[in-house]
Amino acid sequence: MTEVSTETAGAQTESATVLVARQGVRGWFAAHPLLTHIIKRFALYILTLWAAISGTFLFFRLIPGNPIDAYTQNLAQNYVYNQKANHQIIAHYNQVFGLNGNLFTQYTHYLYQLVVNHDLGPSLINYPTPAWTLISNALPWTLGLLLVATIVAWVLGLLLGAATGWWRRNPVSGGLTYVGTAITHIPYYFVALLGVFYLGYTHSILPTSLAYDPGVVMGWNWHFMTSVVKHALLPACSIIFVSIFGHMLGMRFQMIMTLGEDYLNFAEAKGLRPNVIMRKYAMRNSFLPQVTALAISLGAVFNGNVLVENLFKYPGVGHLLVQAVGNLDYNVIMGVTDLGIFGVLTGAFLLDLIVPVIDPRIRRAR
Amino acid sequence: MRRILGFFRAIGRSPKLSLGLALLIIVVVVGFLNGWLIGLIRTHIGADPTAVSPNHWVHPNGKYLLGTDQYGRDVAAMTLDGLATSLKIGIIAGGLSTAIAIVVAFVAAYRGGLLDSFLSAITDFFLVIPTLPLLIAYSAFAKHVSLLQVGVILAVFSWPGAARTIRTQVLSLRQRSYVDLAKVTKLNTFEVIFAELAPNMLGFLALGLAYAAVASMFALIGLEVIGLGPSGVIDLGFILNLATSGGALTLGAWGIFVAPIAIASVVFFALTLINVGLEEKYNPRLRKVAGG
Repeated sequence: MTEVSTETAGAQTESATVLVARQGVRGWFAAHPLLTHIIKRFALYILTLWAAISGTFLFFRLIPGNPIDAYTQNLAQNYVYNQKANHQIIAHYNQVFGLNGNLFTQYTHYLYQLVVNHDLGPSLINYPTPAWTLISNALPWTLGLLLVATIVAWVLGLLLGAATGWWRRNPVSGGLTYVGTAITHIPYYFVALLGVFYLGYTHSILPTSLAYDPGVVMGWNWHFMTSVVKHALLPACSIIFVSIFGHMLGMRFQMIMTLGEDYLNFAEAKGLRPNVIMRKYAMRNSFLPQVTALAISLGAVFNGNVLVENLFKYPGVGHLLVQAVGNLDYNVIMGVTDLGIFGVLTGAFLLDLIVPVIDPRIRRAR
Repeated sequence: MRRILGFFRAIGRSPKLSLGLALLIIVVVVGFLNGWLIGLIRTHIGADPTAVSPNHWVHPNGKYLLGTDQYGRDVAAMTLDGLATSLKIGIIAGGLSTAIAIVVAFVAAYRGGLLDSFLSAITDFFLVIPTLPLLIAYSAFAKHVSLLQVGVILAVFSWPGAARTIRTQVLSLRQRSYVDLAKVTKLNTFEVIFAELAPNMLGFLALGLAYAAVASMFALIGLEVIGLGPSGVIDLGFILNLATSGGALTLGAWGIFVAPIAIASVVFFALTLINVGLEEKYNPRLRKVAGG
């Protein structure tokens, strides 16, 4: 991601050097490099968002087998004794699901609905509940589980990576690196499955499914909260266990790169304490790529984790997606996909805004 | 030719590369000998191992090395079948996606200009679209999906990552003097790309292939785990689905899910080793980094 930062830095120095008095919009752009950067980045963000959502829309409309056709045909068979009612009902459903007119009309209708009314249309199976209601009910579970897991894994991975990088000649550090290399590409699902078998079924230590005990009443009370935490422990830990090593390897790599820099030798020659060198010189300068990694993982949180959530029947977005697919619930599936796209793009966009704030090198390049 | 020989010599020098390749070759050979190995199991058991039999949920023992599933089928034989399918999807989707990535990246980076901007925009666009939901939806809507179709869809959505890395590499390579020399001697674009540039990036291309293959193998496993995916094929994910839906977890039949997980993990581990080894080879600064 350093690619991004140098690119923006380059663009900004360029706009600063051409600060000759220019007229109109261009002159304004030259005078406000930071705002220009934000505006340009925002325009790009909106453009990619639009393109990706349109792409998915097209993909779904071009898949063979339109589920709503099947649904209305089914209805037509049931209402065969009343031709008029039948036509009215089909017309009604086509209108509600935005299937009137050609592909372009449907597309503009979908986009209008999404952008102006923030409406994904009704869910097919839970008709007439809006698809967005279903998604927003599932979202807190996914966010709660994955946000906590992602942040915990990131912090621990960062510290572990800093330690293994700093003491890189220590055999424990070498061993951890090998273990990390072996584990980092193993899917979370595998760890979760083994964990469920060993801790859940064989030893009955942790619950194996759902987000809280069925008998517990939902609310902000101690009983409910402990139940939620207990149920989240196994899925969260299986995600943390794997993703910790990814962050560790990234941080370790960056630490060792930084340790080779001249200013670290200089700091040592100045007689700074190793503790200070490690924290203020090595770690601080190795930090930035890890922030990028965090932003990318946080953006991906909105996708939910289909396999892990499904294994635990955890009522999050990933589980909702599988249920919706099982019922061919068009609008919910599209909604979940759009939400995932939104998460990833927003994460990347915010990252580009935050990087200059946390990295003085990029700020000064302006 | 000399460059290719040098490439193999470099593999011999790196323990990570050699170990990774050795593991991978073993798994691939086992995968492709699956017919023969299943034949061995058949004579060992004395019946067709993948046929339904009354011996449900036998725990791993001398006769059924990994036990049986809820229909009395031998898990070891099914796992071998599953491995072959997983490798197949890896080759189909991985190969196709790398091919797309190579063409897009080379054309974009070598030609540059407007074409580059256009192709890069398309790459970024595909990079954003989440593959799994689309694939899940496609397999659910289109009732009968073949392995090849899944492979093609995976390839269509998974090439951008590799295209990006290859493009960056080509951008730096095309400034070298030997490329100028080749241009002066009036080689055309394709000759420059395939005779001069590509051989110098063999490792990178192999890396891209390895990544794409792993990603598509896991995508198919994920699809099968939630009960979708191509009809009439057994892959490692299908066996995991059998395990979770059939009650293997409660019955303690560990063979049925430990075996696919172990095999898939070995493949992932081998490819990670190859990846780290190749990165060290191409970026000598890293040699001191990768511990031990």
